[in-house]
Amino acid sequence: MEAYLNGRIEAFDAVYEALAARVRRFQLSLCRDASLADDLTQETFLQMHRSRRTYEPGRPVTPWVFAIARHVYLMHRRATARRLRFEAAVAADARSNDTTRDGAQALTDADHVRHALRDVPADQRQALLMHHVHGWSFAEIATRLGIRVNAAKTRAFRGIRRLRGHLSRRSGRGAKADLR
Amino acid sequence: MKGRDVRAIVERDLRPVRPLWPPSRRALALLPLVIAVVVGVPLLHYFRTDLAALGFVRSWGLSVVESLAGLAIIALGLREAVPGRALRAFALVIASAVGLALPLVIYRLTTETFNVGPLSWSQWRFGMACFQTSVFAAVPVLLASAFLTKRAFPTRRVVTGILWGLGCGLIADAGLRLYCEFTTLPHMVLEHFSAVVASMLLGVVITGVIAKPPR
Repeated sequence: MEAYLNGRIEAFDAVYEALAARVRRFQLSLCRDASLADDLTQETFLQMHRSRRTYEPGRPVTPWVFAIARHVYLMHRRATARRLRFEAAVAADARSNDTTRDGAQALTDADHVRHALRDVPADQRQALLMHHVHGWSFAEIATRLGIRVNAAKTRAFRGIRRLRGHLSRRSGRGAKADLR
Repeated sequence: MKGRDVRAIVERDLRPVRPLWPPSRRALALLPLVIAVVVGVPLLHYFRTDLAALGFVRSWGLSVVESLAGLAIIALGLREAVPGRALRAFALVIASAVGLALPLVIYRLTTETFNVGPLSWSQWRFGMACFQTSVFAAVPVLLASAFLTKRAFPTRRVVTGILWGLGCGLIADAGLRLYCEFTTLPHMVLEHFSAVVASMLLGVVITGVIAKPPR
């Protein structure tokens, strides 16, 4: 170790050779992930190198290196927890934005539908609403309005077609406006 | 990252380094500063007028004991800042308990003899100068200890900060008690002891700020 402190790379190799496997086993026992244990082992030796002047000559090397290894693992765990908290916060934020956007979109859509319905002729609008909104059958609509069943179907169908046409024209204008 | 990548980084960065002195020796390097603080506080203001009546042991003797205890606790803090030399929980509790109890014992020994100063706990504002003087007196030792801690690698920053902050507080208090002649318990606890605790907390905060892993 003294030779390593004096700047000899062979001394580092010897320390690495002697301790890398044990440090890896130690990291593996802490994190239980082989790939992560490899990374943490390398990080331990980097940290050991950066703080090598804290080694007191004459003292055993192993407790010193293992204290650094444990610190590296704890730092990793803390960083992971911090990252997970951050990601959870970002995800929650995104969910909240989506909910807001969905609500706003629904209101806008309802407004568009109301506007488009105004352009549908009254008899078609009546049949359309009775069938598609209130859930009446065509026979019930026919009885209520005093028309034939086929006439009720035709009015509802034409009303829907006209409504769809209005809505598609409006959404096309909206998209163009967005593009501008 | 592979082993050979680490080797390449180490090889690129490798140069001889001088290892840190042992913690006790680094703490001893603070001794001139400790003496300056202990003697400097009464010299900058004045020595308490009852110094002679108090006797050498109860005045200078107890201050020497308190400042040496502070220095020893700083040494423990510096030892804690070396990987692999962390204190056991029992030793840590004993060191902190002795450090915190010592000023109280010293106040008690002094209060038996004299009872001068604010007698009520509600008069805490009276004598705030003692708190300020003590904290300011601790600053030079705090800065020097912070420098020594920064050069090491504290893996338990809070523990390290508690120890050397407490040590600095004791040293400042050792000087303050040669200047302040109020000896009532409320004053001692609210102004003097709270300054020791404040110094300890400063140690924790400073260590948290300065002691990042070496890059």
